[in-house]
Amino acid sequence: MTAAAPDPKILHVDMDAFYASVEIRDRPELADRPVAVGGTAEGRGVISAANYPAREYGVRSALPTARALQLCPELVLLPPDFDKYTTVSREIMRIFRSYTPLVEPLSLDEAFLDVSGCERLHGNAETIGRKIRSDILRETGLVASIGVAPTKFLAKLASDLDKPDGFRVIRGPELREVLDPLPVSKIFGVGERTAKRLESMGVTTIGQLASKSRDEVKATFGATGTWIHDLAHGIDDRRVTPNRVEKSHGKERTFPEDVTDRELLRRCLYDFAEEVAYDLRDRGLRGKTVSVKARFWNFKTVTRSKTLDFPTNLGPRIFATARELLERVPAGPLRLLGVQVSNLEDVRTPVQTGLFDDGAAFQAPREDTRLGRATEGVDQLRRRFGRDVVRPASLIDAPDERRGSRDPRP
Amino acid sequence: MKVLCDRERLREGLALVQSIVPTKSTRPAIENIYLAATDDALELVGTDLEVSMRYRLDDVKVAETGTALVPGRVTADFVRDLASDTVELSTDGEHLTIVGGADTCTLSTTDPDEFPTAALVRFESTGALSIQGGNFAKLVSRTSFAAAKEQGRYAMHGILTLVEDQVLRMVATDGRRLAVASTPIDDTGAPRRAIVPTKAMQAMCRVIDDTLEQISLQFSDNQVGLKTRAAEIFARVIDGEFPRYAAVIPAETSKTVEADADLMAKKLKLVSNVTTADARAVKLTVAEKTMSIRGRSSTSGKAESQLDIDYKGEEAEIAFNPDFLLDGLRNCETDLVRLEFNDRTSPGKFTLGENYIYIVMPITADA
Repeated sequence: MTAAAPDPKILHVDMDAFYASVEIRDRPELADRPVAVGGTAEGRGVISAANYPAREYGVRSALPTARALQLCPELVLLPPDFDKYTTVSREIMRIFRSYTPLVEPLSLDEAFLDVSGCERLHGNAETIGRKIRSDILRETGLVASIGVAPTKFLAKLASDLDKPDGFRVIRGPELREVLDPLPVSKIFGVGERTAKRLESMGVTTIGQLASKSRDEVKATFGATGTWIHDLAHGIDDRRVTPNRVEKSHGKERTFPEDVTDRELLRRCLYDFAEEVAYDLRDRGLRGKTVSVKARFWNFKTVTRSKTLDFPTNLGPRIFATARELLERVPAGPLRLLGVQVSNLEDVRTPVQTGLFDDGAAFQAPREDTRLGRATEGVDQLRRRFGRDVVRPASLIDAPDERRGSRDPRP
Repeated sequence: MKVLCDRERLREGLALVQSIVPTKSTRPAIENIYLAATDDALELVGTDLEVSMRYRLDDVKVAETGTALVPGRVTADFVRDLASDTVELSTDGEHLTIVGGADTCTLSTTDPDEFPTAALVRFESTGALSIQGGNFAKLVSRTSFAAAKEQGRYAMHGILTLVEDQVLRMVATDGRRLAVASTPIDDTGAPRRAIVPTKAMQAMCRVIDDTLEQISLQFSDNQVGLKTRAAEIFARVIDGEFPRYAAVIPAETSKTVEADADLMAKKLKLVSNVTTADARAVKLTVAEKTMSIRGRSSTSGKAESQLDIDYKGEEAEIAFNPDFLLDGLRNCETDLVRLEFNDRTSPGKFTLGENYIYIVMPITADA
């Protein structure tokens, strides 16, 4: 553990109301109105992002759209356009990388940057932060909040302090002054439950937590205790790690209406499996563990997983496993279904070949090798003409149902 | 029963039998060792229901014949730690008393009838195969390391043992590498074939204390028995389909390399230090008279080493898991190891001695 070094070297850049801001940038007439991006109320969607006028009504991300519309009847609700956000995100990340290679994206609109050693080239961390902010505004027309601090935790805290359009530097000496009055819930890792338990110990602010002995906090909260106590002291030795390895990749959907029909659910799984597989191939990854997540009408959620003998990024293989897993999900109306592939590795990872194609299970069967080659061709078509250009015949006669968005057949 | 025996002989027998007795079982009776004192011998029997062992001590004085089922671990440990030359075992009703000099121990016993009768079978000598103990043990050590260790591939958890055309052959594989070794035997009977659990094979090797002694091997429907002068072992054979191993042994290869086995092992070990557990691979590049061994890992770096070899032909490369190669080279019986292969995606065939080959599948990137 290293105590907070006096020099702020870490930047946390967070785009303000990212999706909403991108939409408003393209439709300036909406600028002063409450705008949110999200799924429809009829489709039981949720808000993905809300601009600041909308937030004044209490509209925030993850809120069900129906509720958001109750809070703010004049809310302008826009459907999300992830392709557009991804494009903008790439521009922003490119700006970051023009200053330092140490960029750790946390999502499309948020990243940590370590600018140690960039001073002679670009100036100190504060200067770089300001340059980045103006670069983003100039090149994308969007506003970012930036925190500059000696550690990740403090940088993230700093970017949040003056949001929106914030710019905040926390230096070593002002650490206590900034941290002490903040509620403990600002600490990464302190959720509702931990906050309640801390409160019962008489701790509501970070300052109070910091003044407790490390052993006492550890005795009550275990490993989490030492972690949050360190953070309360501004100690955080997490480094900015570029190329953070993706741990899993998945796709899930909340249905507009609960779905009981297994045939429909299977079609859904097929769709997800193909999509997840395509994304994995696109990223040069393959995975060994397939999971199916199912949420029932009453929000009871079950997941079923299976680890394959060999890693795959082929839709049919993922689907076959997911379908098996769906059989192990109890019957009942589902509001959400998802497929996830984890245990990922680079496709270039060396593979131990097997002696017996019949008996050796750790090697992908021959049919997968053939399918893999066919898939490469299909992927090229998809890249040129769109993902839906090649589809299985079984789905062609049921164009409405493949999204699982219609009533089950009578 | 009441028996006086040599402590060292008894210690040895108990240790051998105890080595297969489970320390914890859903059937507690088999956590015991079965003792049977006959007119001229004391026999010790242990089983884990897959493998059973009968060990016979001859030079004992039996004052009273009888049987007893005694706790295996405590009995073996107590006798091991005694300092006396002789030990007296006696039972009275529900207790076993062990006396060695001035030291004594009394243990609770179990009703001998609770011991599985299947473990009390006797070796049937008719039709048994005779082979020198050392040759049998050598075949086991030449192959057992290649048998599957991880869960799931049941038939590969044993050593395929074949008797055919005056040859005893053992084959073990985990699906990625395969070891085949054989030795000529004097036998004119029908071909025999069984998959014997690796663990049982190793127990069999342990009871062969004299490598020159002729031992007997008996194949029956569901078990294989082995008899030495002092011990009998029965192993339940694995009922599964062993992969068709002969088909994966390359008949023709375009490249033949000969290298000093010790030196190649040293270099492999050296280079493998930089490879990581999740990408355990070394690349061998053979060129006229030289082999380069390269290893790399995305996290730690790379290493390269070279050794002189006997090779004529164009440059070629093939990658392997270094651990697999080291397992084989450790067992190499000749100074020179021969490696034959065709290309980077087909199996490497190592000749590790007379009638001893080892096949290793390569590692390929972006297959």
